Amino acid sequence: MGAYLARRLWQMVPTLAGVIALVFVLFNWVGGDPALILAGKVPDPAQIENIRRQLGIDQPWWVQLWIFVQQVFTFDFGRSWSTNQLVSDVILSRLGPTLTIMVPMLLLETLLAVTLALLVAWVRGSLTDRVVMVVTTVAMSISFLVYIIVFQWLFGYRLAWFPVQGWSEDLWTNLVKFAPLPVLLGVFVSLAPSLRLYRSFFLDEIGHDYVRTARAKGLSERRVMLRHVLRNALIPILTYVGIGLPSLFVGSFLLEMFFSIPGLGREVIDSVNRSDFPVIKAITVYLAVLTMLVNLLVDVLYHYADPRVKLR
Amino acid sequence: MIDSARLPGALLLAALALLAGNTAHAEQKVLRFAFRSVETGFDPQRVDDLYSSAVNNEIFEPLLEFDYFARPVRLAPLAAESVPEPEEGGSVYTFRIRRGVYFSDDPAFRGQRRELTARDAAYAIKRLRDPRNRAPYGWLVQDALVGLDELHDEALESGRFDYDRPIAGIEVVDRYTLRLRLKQPDYNFLYRFTMPQTAPVAREVIETYAEDTMAHPVGTGPFRLAEWTRRQKIVLERNPSYRGRTLDTTWADPGDPEHRRVIADLRGKLLPQLDRVEIYPMDASQPRFLAFMNGEHDLIQEVPVTFINQVAPGGRLLPSLEARGIRMQRVVPPEITYYSFNMEHPVIGGYTPEKVALRRALVLAHDVDSEIAVLYKGQGQLAYGPVPPGVVGYDPDFRHHEQDYDPARAVALLDLYGWVDHDGDGWRDRPDGQPLVIDYLHSTGATAREAAGLWEKSMRRIGIRLVARGVQFSDQLRDRKAGKYMIAAAAWAADWPDAQNFLALLYGPNAPELNDNRFRLEAYDRLYERAAMMPDSPERNRLYREMSRLAIAYAPWRLSEYLVWTHLSYPWVLGYLKHPIYHTRLEYLDVDVATRAAAQAR
Repeated sequence: MGAYLARRLWQMVPTLAGVIALVFVLFNWVGGDPALILAGKVPDPAQIENIRRQLGIDQPWWVQLWIFVQQVFTFDFGRSWSTNQLVSDVILSRLGPTLTIMVPMLLLETLLAVTLALLVAWVRGSLTDRVVMVVTTVAMSISFLVYIIVFQWLFGYRLAWFPVQGWSEDLWTNLVKFAPLPVLLGVFVSLAPSLRLYRSFFLDEIGHDYVRTARAKGLSERRVMLRHVLRNALIPILTYVGIGLPSLFVGSFLLEMFFSIPGLGREVIDSVNRSDFPVIKAITVYLAVLTMLVNLLVDVLYHYADPRVKLR
Repeated sequence: MIDSARLPGALLLAALALLAGNTAHAEQKVLRFAFRSVETGFDPQRVDDLYSSAVNNEIFEPLLEFDYFARPVRLAPLAAESVPEPEEGGSVYTFRIRRGVYFSDDPAFRGQRRELTARDAAYAIKRLRDPRNRAPYGWLVQDALVGLDELHDEALESGRFDYDRPIAGIEVVDRYTLRLRLKQPDYNFLYRFTMPQTAPVAREVIETYAEDTMAHPVGTGPFRLAEWTRRQKIVLERNPSYRGRTLDTTWADPGDPEHRRVIADLRGKLLPQLDRVEIYPMDASQPRFLAFMNGEHDLIQEVPVTFINQVAPGGRLLPSLEARGIRMQRVVPPEITYYSFNMEHPVIGGYTPEKVALRRALVLAHDVDSEIAVLYKGQGQLAYGPVPPGVVGYDPDFRHHEQDYDPARAVALLDLYGWVDHDGDGWRDRPDGQPLVIDYLHSTGATAREAAGLWEKSMRRIGIRLVARGVQFSDQLRDRKAGKYMIAAAAWAADWPDAQNFLALLYGPNAPELNDNRFRLEAYDRLYERAAMMPDSPERNRLYREMSRLAIAYAPWRLSEYLVWTHLSYPWVLGYLKHPIYHTRLEYLDVDVATRAAAQAR
């Protein structure tokens, strides 16, 4: 296991180098000039030059790249160009609200989707199965934005079951007052595709010989589904959930924007609008690292979900 | 310790104190509302966004302000004792700082009360030109005050701005007197001192918080920052060090019912009345609108255009909202939206008759009526000139048909000057037979995209091929400043309410920074220079009118509309009068907590 982990960690280095190079090229050659934004409504050339000098974007590209590499390895991205806040403070202060929404959303969505998919797979071909498939297809074809607008209007304003928007400093208040509507919305929207996907995983497993053998041995259908089918379908489910894990840390910018949640998703959009490169660069690199680590974690979890999987 | 005999009394006292505390808390006057976008921070010299500036206006006190009632707006003293008279033909202004004005308490003052002095005002002005601050409003004093630009240039060389070196342009005469000397006369110079960017700041506060001044605003204004969750929640509380003042009704219009209501609301009250103000920056318009409609917020400024027909179709407040006591104010702010033609572009630019004819045809062909009706849901008025209503120099009688939507006239003009279809492909070509393709530059965003679509449709109607190019805002800025466009969408909001602030956008020497469509017309420039040397007068207004006439004749812009914004407030919000320049004036607002409680109970 130790050797496997070391090898995988070592393999991350070239990937990270690629990420750094890509982010650097994108921001330095494709992105707009932040000095123009920061110079105000009457930007004169001297002011723009002064800003470029202070931000270090007048330096040769190799100097800028070296500074970026140093920033990545020291976890010090300096200060936000627009608010002058430390980038590390920006990220840390935004992470909590994002996780407060995204973690319950992921847990609920996974739990519900796996349960419902198993039930639907159990009665495959029935009217229930067909109705669920039609409903999920319709649900998937509607834009997330439409759900947000309708849910916020209906449950927040019309029925007043939840506040229309808001956030507090207190985790408990957020969990019981401000998070429920965005979390339910997120679950509702992501449930349909997950349910369909997990159903197909279960149907794949149901078609295998070992299931027929288990049934031939006289095992109950419940035991077949829960002990055999569910367990074997866990690997693709884990893969799917694992792929989505890094998004936990970025959040949904639409949810955060519409419900005034001070999370990372909203921060990314604000930073893009203001060409606040230090913040965007830091979040991009940190997300890339997180994705690599989560992939590694998922690979390790395979071993525990199915002992036949060997980590070499 | 309390002995047992006194225990019941002590408990009773404690209970009463608790009750009193709760009552006091319950009766706190709290106002809640939202900003349309996020703030960046509260260092007055380092920010330029509208919402940070709006908060700074409540925390800091510029030397001057605009009267709450006067329309058109009028200068009034704030941290200064009086509005200075121009000296030496508009080249010198002497401010007398009000005595007994104190900054709110802060650890930077080491427990001492800190009085506002002329040095603080001088320090703030110098901060605008300190290169380290990257002050986006540095241009307010750039090329204006004697010696300040030299100080700036030396700081660029040495890396250190010398705040202590006296310069002729900024003279601290005594503790309460500041004299400013300009390089050349400017009768509009005083307007700059109504802006939070020039508000005095205490040097020890700035030096104490160094890189973190955005989060530590310490001013002399009616409120101070109590809590701040960046881009989420801004809480202001009444500044206990503030001297307080009463409503000045000198410029109120007795015939205006809104003015009468405000006077009745605030008569005899020491301002500010609010104990606490909670501001929620919201990028999305629906939650901002719904938060007002369900009473979470007490007022909504600039009702989103998307929802305007749900509250005021045809400009009339819905009876159901009237029944709830909701009040509506509709205000045309001093700003313009327009489409800029690149005057240096080989096809669309230039001053020869056929080029002028092309631009005038494009103006006439652009369906501005649909733009107002569809894009802005009727919340706009056709713009006739570069000077919007509400500013000094605006002429309500300046009317013509050159900015109308009139495709037939456009076609006639194009035909007359040879912009016809030479090769029979169905599209008009240049007079020399080369293909004519108009490049339209706009920023990304739903409204900008819709406006681009309308341009394409309008041009297709007269046989002109237009290609819209949507780019990030920073890229749009870059291309406009570099002159890489033919037509670009643009807007300008007044920095100060004088026509000069708008007409400067077409002044030749201001190209390309301010005048980014590079309009250079000798006659226009001479008029501008003459007007700049004159105080407000009928003669100056005549020059302004003449400049507007030239701008219409040569068509460097397609003026689109003066937007009309709707503002709503609940009946328990007292004293609310939307000022055309200020985002809010919280000092003049009050909340009737009993009325609010009764409404919420229903």
